[in-house]
Amino acid sequence: MIGQYLKRGLLAFSAAAALFMAAHGESKAQDKKFKIYLSLSYSGNDWQTEAANIVKALAATPPYDKLVDLREVISGTDVQAQISAYESMIADKADGVISFPVSPTALNRTIRKGCKAGVLFFMYDATVTEPCAYNVSYITSGFGENTAQALVNMLGGKGIIFENRGVPGNSVDKRHVLGAEAIFKKYPNIHIVATYYGMWSAQTSQQETAKALIAHPEVTGIWSEYGEEGVLKAVLASKRSELFPITGEDSNAFRLALIDPALKARGFTGASSGSPPATAGYAFKIMMEVLTKKRNLAIHNIEYPLPWVPADKVKVCPGDEFENGCNVFPKDKVTDSFTTEVFEPVLLPELTMKTALTGLPKPGATIQPLPAALHPAPLEPGINCGHCEPPADLYKLTKVQPAVH
Amino acid sequence: MSAFVSRKVSDQTADRSIRLWLGNGALVVSILYVLLFAFYAAAQGDVFGLQPMNDLANDTLPLALAAAGGTVVMLTGGFDLSVAGVISLVNVCIATQIGDGPLNALWGLLLAILIGLAVGMVNGALVAFGKLQSIASTLATMIVCSGLAIVVLDAPGGNVSDFIADNATDPILGVFPAAGAIALVIVLLWLVVRSTAFGVAIYAVGADETAASLAGVPVLRTKFLAYSLGGICYGLAGFMLSAVTATGSPSAGTPFLLLMFAAIAIGGTSFAGGYGGPIGSMVGAALLVLLQKALFSAGVSSFYTVIFQGAIMILAVLVGGISASIAAGRSR
Amino acid sequence: MTKTSPSEHATAAPVPEASAKATAARSGFRIGPEGWTTLALFGLTVFMILASRLISSGFGSWQQAQAILLLSSFTIVLGFGQGLVILIGGLDLSVGVVMTLGGILAYRWIGTSLVALFWAIPCILLVTGCVGAINGLGATLLRLPPFIMTLATSLIIYGVFLGFTGGQPRGVASPALTSAYTSTFAGLPVILWLLLIFIILATLVQSHSSFGRRLYAVGTSPMAAYIAGLPVRLLIVAAYAISGATSGLAGILLVGYATGATLTMGQSYLLPSVAAVVVGGASILGGRGTYLATVGGALLLTTLSTIIEALGLAEGWRTVIYGLVIMLALLALRENMGIGWALTPKFRNTASRSRPGGAGHKPNKTGGNG
Repeated sequence: MIGQYLKRGLLAFSAAAALFMAAHGESKAQDKKFKIYLSLSYSGNDWQTEAANIVKALAATPPYDKLVDLREVISGTDVQAQISAYESMIADKADGVISFPVSPTALNRTIRKGCKAGVLFFMYDATVTEPCAYNVSYITSGFGENTAQALVNMLGGKGIIFENRGVPGNSVDKRHVLGAEAIFKKYPNIHIVATYYGMWSAQTSQQETAKALIAHPEVTGIWSEYGEEGVLKAVLASKRSELFPITGEDSNAFRLALIDPALKARGFTGASSGSPPATAGYAFKIMMEVLTKKRNLAIHNIEYPLPWVPADKVKVCPGDEFENGCNVFPKDKVTDSFTTEVFEPVLLPELTMKTALTGLPKPGATIQPLPAALHPAPLEPGINCGHCEPPADLYKLTKVQPAVH
Repeated sequence: MSAFVSRKVSDQTADRSIRLWLGNGALVVSILYVLLFAFYAAAQGDVFGLQPMNDLANDTLPLALAAAGGTVVMLTGGFDLSVAGVISLVNVCIATQIGDGPLNALWGLLLAILIGLAVGMVNGALVAFGKLQSIASTLATMIVCSGLAIVVLDAPGGNVSDFIADNATDPILGVFPAAGAIALVIVLLWLVVRSTAFGVAIYAVGADETAASLAGVPVLRTKFLAYSLGGICYGLAGFMLSAVTATGSPSAGTPFLLLMFAAIAIGGTSFAGGYGGPIGSMVGAALLVLLQKALFSAGVSSFYTVIFQGAIMILAVLVGGISASIAAGRSR
Repeated sequence: MTKTSPSEHATAAPVPEASAKATAARSGFRIGPEGWTTLALFGLTVFMILASRLISSGFGSWQQAQAILLLSSFTIVLGFGQGLVILIGGLDLSVGVVMTLGGILAYRWIGTSLVALFWAIPCILLVTGCVGAINGLGATLLRLPPFIMTLATSLIIYGVFLGFTGGQPRGVASPALTSAYTSTFAGLPVILWLLLIFIILATLVQSHSSFGRRLYAVGTSPMAAYIAGLPVRLLIVAAYAISGATSGLAGILLVGYATGATLTMGQSYLLPSVAAVVVGGASILGGRGTYLATVGGALLLTTLSTIIEALGLAEGWRTVIYGLVIMLALLALRENMGIGWALTPKFRNTASRSRPGGAGHKPNKTGGNG
């Protein structure tokens, strides 16, 4: 009886294997394309999906549609799963891996092996400290310090504030907070009364903010990482008549709220900055230029410009693109948590809001070359290098200047 | 319903050898593993080389060690969630406190074992002497340990010494994966433990606590020791994870929580205790790790991977269950 | 040998009469140890809220209590289904994903329409209930360990989400659902009234209906229940189906609260749902626990995290304290020797007679009280 089961199982397996071999042989035949893996550490929030869609859209935009064989791999938040995925990609003789790394350090050994085997590793948004990989990110561009200074300016140098952090034990979160606290500590009248972790999720941010609001109803400002729309919802739900400044990242709902006249009248203002999904597209274009020998890349850490939209610069887009300085979409076009920074007119003219939603290329678009000079990112230990000296002016302000002393 | 009544009876009178071979979870999952590996080899090609074998062994060992530890606890009828906390805590300690060189590496190994043992003893004390539910008390120790891990290291970083990272993950003398050797040592150690009075007691306590107690088995001490032994295994898993990733992360252990229980179930250990064993769980862990690779090489990508993982998990446990009932049927 | 959920609890079963007696004691108006545990949980929660006035001026108020109730609402709803599944000796790891499913469907189907509320909510509960029933069928017919069955279901459903939604669920949060959290009725947020009704109904179902009594019987000993003529498999499937439906309901509520839906919205509620049930004193092996105690567990955990967050410590130490307090609470509340036990000397005497060797309900396989 057991023999029967085993035999049946073996038959099924060998049939599957045979089918597979046939398929595999076929794909070998039409070679010549660059084999590129898109390795997502995690999928399920708008940000990650938009970033992946942007890469897919660019890979389908002429002439890359004829040059690229893009394969998407989702490996969850488990470091070992991503290590295993990288190993498989290296074994599969990938030309390039474009990835959102789940850890800045744990993937290094595997990446080093891949580099030796001739695989290009491009990391977007999050970074790794392995020197042979390329990091394309906004992290070093000063989100924390600039938003903190903007908040201090709006508060006139004194106030009681909350910090809505990201994920505990995460290096990006730590970098943002170090930058912000470097600013806050200069102002003795700024009191941080609550620091909590919104897990880079709007819902968790909303719940954690609600808890903090019970303990400290006297709050006068909130500094937030990704999840700011949840922070705003919690503040609105607390039924206070007077609102206060909130700084956060790039969600569509948050930007729209910044120009809502009713909220403005109650004292709400803020600044929108932070992690742009467009970085993924930028990283992909740089990688393709290197692969197609159009660019000789000498630097490994490339900075993506920090999006910066204070309340008075928010402008609704009539169409699907950022035209004439507009930077937010009407409420009925996208969801609340849609991250607005999905393209950049100079670096990524091939993209529109639709490409970020669907992963399909913009009709009629072709890939435009990137500017000759790319902006190198400063070295920061634990972010993009292992043991290195950070520049002396690590937390210098770039988007906003102190208005109070 | 009557099936399990008769199966219970047949357990006692079963022809032990048939039951051992057909109903043996470890054997069934090993056969599944070989089949999956054959498929993987056909799809991937170059898998028998030393390098790919070594990679596979390194990817597998941390989960396999954790699953072995979780199984010892589960055999007594307990659930141990502390695994996630222990692995994180050991990982950050190895990455921040341990220097280079063989002596330091030895100290690191000892530290990993001590942390695991300490947490395991707390769990054991809470469950055996404090009369708390295993799932509740180990949930609390898991939370405490993951908090301590953030206290030790507040963001991924630190550095695992090259000596540990290289020696624990490279092939021994360039011929045999070190991770494979460690796994073999653990298997042998378990076979020794199993034949001791303590080993017999673990199964007795899990199968029927009252009967075990009446038969003079020291139930509380057995439980306490089982949690301690489980803790040591988690400590070792944390040590190996540190070697493989060569870095520390305060959340390193989190993914192990669900995967460990999945590995144990696939390995054929009963979640009610008393039946199964760490060897099956280790192969179960290996199966889960290989599954990722096999799905990758089969070209299954993106969201289908998750669906396949779920389906194959069910399938593996089903096959184990079917062969177990065949074994029971035969032996009647 | 056995790997199947019903048979796991088959050995050395107490006779049916004994379990029936235990159930009768539970459903009566006398306060047994479980009742005292529940009272102790609520008392501890109230005490913590009052004592937290020392930490912050905003604490210790009715306002705070209201907010804690509001934040606990998801775990309280999830806890009913999870509690029933744990009661019959299972475990539902799919509640997080099924909650997300409920949320995404609510987001898609209800929208701004008020009419849709009336057909969509029953439909969503039906869909999520079916997912739960599938879990139950896997656990009974296929005899899969509930842990694996529910884990696999959640992986598969998550994969299907990813495929169908492309990672970004579309829709509109229903204003009617949102107003449940924002508007008040007779001085209380509407959601709290709804929650109160839910808790009363759930308590009636679990502790004062024949269905509930049968579930206790199945949890105490599936074999004894089978011999006594109960449709054991059907009851197990029903418990999982209810867990699916309550998860779906929690997802609907979460859309109202967060006015949005994401693919991971339910994930972070899985562990709290289990924790609330076990802190409430239910045995993970089945047969023991009440819904009111689960509610107390959920409130205690939320209160604890709210207060610890206001302590102004670094995250690591906060987490350590959270874990330690849970540990202490468990030690203080355990049924056989904790507060509840100390307060009921009468019951202790009778119970130790009816329980062989002074052990718990399930002397054969206890994780904790053996």
